Amino acid sequence: MSSPEPARVKRSTPAPRRAAAASDAGMSGQDKANFIKAMMDGVKPKAAAGAKTKPAAVKPKKVVLLRKIPAPVRVTRPSNPASDEALALAAALEAKLAAGDLGALTPQAVQALMRALCRFYSANVGAGDKYPVVEGRMSVTGTDAMIVCGALLKAVDLQVFELGMWQSWSAV
Amino acid sequence: MAEQFIGKLSEFSDGDRQILRIGEDEIGVFRHEGEFYAYSNFCLHQGGPACEGLTIANVEERLRPDKTSMGLHFTNDMNFVCPWHGYEYDMKTGCHVKDKKVKLRKYDVVTRGNDVYVVA
Ligand code: FES
Repeated sequence: MSSPEPARVKRSTPAPRRAAAASDAGMSGQDKANFIKAMMDGVKPKAAAGAKTKPAAVKPKKVVLLRKIPAPVRVTRPSNPASDEALALAAALEAKLAAGDLGALTPQAVQALMRALCRFYSANVGAGDKYPVVEGRMSVTGTDAMIVCGALLKAVDLQVFELGMWQSWSAV
Repeated sequence: MAEQFIGKLSEFSDGDRQILRIGEDEIGVFRHEGEFYAYSNFCLHQGGPACEGLTIANVEERLRPDKTSMGLHFTNDMNFVCPWHGYEYDMKTGCHVKDKKVKLRKYDVVTRGNDVYVVA
């Protein structure tokens, strides 16, 4: 009598520990295989994962130019000796002011300069040469301009109302 | 947000500005000292055209040690002023000069070669 063949016990190959977790979760065979494959391959970085899907095309927006506002224009002309002297004097006065030396000029000197500049500028405007009275918008502050304009109007006994009327009626 | 082509670098001189409509947004693009800055053109006060007014340097009052005034002076910081009621914004940040919490929406500007793009 031959000895009976030993009963074969069907055993699955020992699964890695990670698979045990999958089987515990009640997965199907294919799910388990995928799970193990994913665990062995590792999780793909976002960029690589995203590379598979085509990014949605970004629709270009309509660009409409509403207006252009150019930089203020600088007026430059060839210099001359009188202008060079005036520029040197202006620079010296600015330096005194920056140093806080408000008494650098006597009132008579300020009045003489103011008078000469007012008349010189006005004569040029009257002759049709209407360049801006100061260069750019950062030469004098709004407060400086109002103080000087107010003082000039007062000196010739004019009101702001009269200035407004004259500006609206004249071509200057 | 994507880069929107707005023009050629050579079309912008220093100090120039452009007001653009990009999609639904209205944007002011400044070129100042070689750099580009872009902000929403809707003022945070009452919706005025924030980027279309004066550009002017910041004004500060200098005081002597005894606190008497040495007058008002311009600093090197440039601002732009809403023409409706004078809200003043810092050119580099878009913040209101007195209240940094009040800030215009800022858009990035990218230059590539001779092309200028706003990211909007
Ligand atoms: S709407 Fe801009 S300051 Fe009022």
